[in-house]
Amino acid sequence: MATMEEEEEALLEGEPPAEASEGKPMPALCDPSRLAHRLLVLALMCFLGFGSYFCYDNPAALQTQVQRDMKVNTAQFMALYAWYSWPNVVLCFFGGFLIDRVFGIRWGTIIFSCFVCIGQVIFAMGAISNTFWLMEAGRFVFGIGGESLAVAQNTYAVSWFKGKELNLVFGLQLSMARIGSTVNMNIMGWVYSKVQDLLGSTGHTTLGVALFIGGVTCIFSLICALILAYLDKRAEKILCKEQGKTGEVIKLTDVKDFSLSLWLIFIICVCYYVAVFPFIGLGKVFFIEKFKFSSQEASAINSIVYVISAPMSPVFGFLVDRVGKNITWVICAVVTTLTAHIMLAFTFWNPWVAMCLLGVAYSLLACALWPMVAFVVPEHQLGTAYGFMQSIQNLGLAIISIAAGMILDSRGYLFLEIFFSACVCLSLIAVVMLYFVNYFRGGDLNLSAKKREKLQKLAVDEKEI
Amino acid sequence: MRVSLLLLCLGSVGVSMATERPEAYRRKVSLEYNPGWNSSEANLLHIRAVGQNDTLHFVWSTIGAPTMVLVYTGSETSSLHVNWTKLLSNSPFGAIRVEPEESVLYSTAVVFAKVYEYNGTNTSDLSKALAGDFYPAYDLANFTWDSLDGKWNQSDLTATFRGVCADHGGTGWNGSIAFQVTAFEGSDRDAPLPRLLHSANSSKVAFVMHGVAPRGKQSRFALEIFALEEGSGRKELQSVRSIDDEYTPTIFEMAQLVSRPRNDSVGSSFVQWKTAAYASPDAQRTDTIHCQYYPLRTANLSLPGRSLAYAFFGPEAHYAVAGLNVSFGGEDSEAYQEKRYLSWSALIGYGEPPEDMFSTLVMVILAVALGTPVLLLVAGGITVCVAAQKRRYSEYDPIN
Repeated sequence: MATMEEEEEALLEGEPPAEASEGKPMPALCDPSRLAHRLLVLALMCFLGFGSYFCYDNPAALQTQVQRDMKVNTAQFMALYAWYSWPNVVLCFFGGFLIDRVFGIRWGTIIFSCFVCIGQVIFAMGAISNTFWLMEAGRFVFGIGGESLAVAQNTYAVSWFKGKELNLVFGLQLSMARIGSTVNMNIMGWVYSKVQDLLGSTGHTTLGVALFIGGVTCIFSLICALILAYLDKRAEKILCKEQGKTGEVIKLTDVKDFSLSLWLIFIICVCYYVAVFPFIGLGKVFFIEKFKFSSQEASAINSIVYVISAPMSPVFGFLVDRVGKNITWVICAVVTTLTAHIMLAFTFWNPWVAMCLLGVAYSLLACALWPMVAFVVPEHQLGTAYGFMQSIQNLGLAIISIAAGMILDSRGYLFLEIFFSACVCLSLIAVVMLYFVNYFRGGDLNLSAKKREKLQKLAVDEKEI
Repeated sequence: MRVSLLLLCLGSVGVSMATERPEAYRRKVSLEYNPGWNSSEANLLHIRAVGQNDTLHFVWSTIGAPTMVLVYTGSETSSLHVNWTKLLSNSPFGAIRVEPEESVLYSTAVVFAKVYEYNGTNTSDLSKALAGDFYPAYDLANFTWDSLDGKWNQSDLTATFRGVCADHGGTGWNGSIAFQVTAFEGSDRDAPLPRLLHSANSSKVAFVMHGVAPRGKQSRFALEIFALEEGSGRKELQSVRSIDDEYTPTIFEMAQLVSRPRNDSVGSSFVQWKTAAYASPDAQRTDTIHCQYYPLRTANLSLPGRSLAYAFFGPEAHYAVAGLNVSFGGEDSEAYQEKRYLSWSALIGYGEPPEDMFSTLVMVILAVALGTPVLLLVAGGITVCVAAQKRRYSEYDPIN
């Protein structure tokens, strides 16, 4: 601790960066201008989101336990997910603003991490005291922190890696998030059973203790946030760089200028994601009941979507960048997802096939869909467009989660799967419409990468002339 | 293409519904309590379901083990005769008959013999439970059954046989075991879970355990059932796995005990149930208690000593007995312990067991959801073609 203070004092003297590195040689790991140090920062950035992604899917990993111990029906259970989404319907617009104008990236990250921790603690307390509304409140607080933390994470990435390995870094962060979800799916059941052995029985106390143990990952992420803040401050002093900013400008009045294509992209996004995340939230019991999987196996298959998307996201990102033709990719992803849902609904075929398809399609969609926004929106409206997209995605998730719970309790999994298929079909309708709209208006959404490049060159040439 | 296929599917479903329609078959059902006897010291309920040129007799009784005897006759006027003195004596064989005897085409019986209780700490699988895991079984033949007086109802065609354990003399055996019988005049689906589809050829029985104190912390219960088939006939246990759980959420398996198919035109019967029991009289999906069933036992079985089945069928030479156990409660589920309520329903009937079908709502949603994008694609494709053609013409125009 003393050494850190010393260092800080030394930094406060405000030597110019070049001299700092020359005059006082630092080991590579401590020198912010060296790769080794940036890798350390990268590791911290990745673990920053680990806790929140781990805990986000705690309910899915413990669905049977939560429903049994808290004596809630499936709609109430799914409300745990809805309560996470509600605050983000609004916060998506303000996350960037809060980071840029109010807290700054460092304090912003720490504060959001605290929200995540406190949310998880309240969530676990709710289980221990057998009060379900307290659990819901916990998820609400957790939600306030969770999504904004992701924004903060991206801002850090931009500020440290801009112009260098940024896409790779984004990819790695996403992979880490998926790993967090996967680990959670596969380990929480085991944690619960260990606690059960320790306490001698199942029940809300067991659930609460298990959730507390899960919350340790959030504390870990908070520690990462603290170290990262210190390192960032230190780098600012040494390298004289500015504090990272999201640079997001949200102007809600821009909404009226959104094009038809953008609205179609929104519809694709909402209808697609509501057929994936709530399904994973309710998936475990489905695999146990319909396919006679053991609890362990069901957890494994339920996390396969995340497992696949961890390595595939960077691969598909690269592929889509090289080939272009985004709409075609999105159509492929949506049709594959539809196939997967229909297979799960109407056959007893090995569900690993369908779930792997779903995982691949999900990764592909994410890589092809989100960049499309940049093609249909002028740059100064990009922040608003992305904020809006996330906001309605959260709104959709909140509503559909509860609806899915109600459908499951009253009409079972077949109907639920058909409902999800119908959502994917809506998404398919939207993407087909987008294709034609783009075709008739001569948009460049579905151009190949080569043509895009040519067009860009042409534009540049024209400017020069 | 897909649309037309789906429409075809829909159409064929419609047609098959219209042509088959065993559902439309209706019977006139009447209930009769202790026919020919003025006392209510013993319970015998006669459900007479008259159809076109045939009659089904369901005879329920708690004299001895709770039993249902099912008799199918090819006459609208066949009737049940009960010799009460004989029935209540120690040799009841022949005490009940259906006349005229030559009109009887098929008969079977289902006996609910015992309720087992065992320690489910290590396994909830009855067949894997060790001998030491078992508590003394409840022999339903030794229960004291309430009089059915006032507990049967001609208008909703229901009756409830409620019994308490008699040889627990004064040790405070509170709680009860009941068999709730419902007869049906036509085909429909039950409103409460598990929402079994029934026809006029069947009646429903719900086995209800209420308030019976478990003797261990993780007790599991199991019901022992016997069914018999006359002559060379045998019973067969089938599992029907279905993708359709819209009526019984999250339950994908139907089990049925049926008559093994035979060449001669003797009839058949079935006992059909979903692999779920419920821990509440007002059952929700979350009250689901999983139930397991075990391979049929056929070797060297005889009916439990006293039951209506014995009174009707007599000594064993004429029939084959099949024994079946159904246990309630999966691993780590203490739903019964918490609510002290368990209800398991089964359908017992003559002929082939009813088969579930997709609801129309499912078909419609599916057709619309899959059809619209395809239609859109076709319409869009045509527009694109037309537009391309036009463009080509307009390109040629200036030359002309």
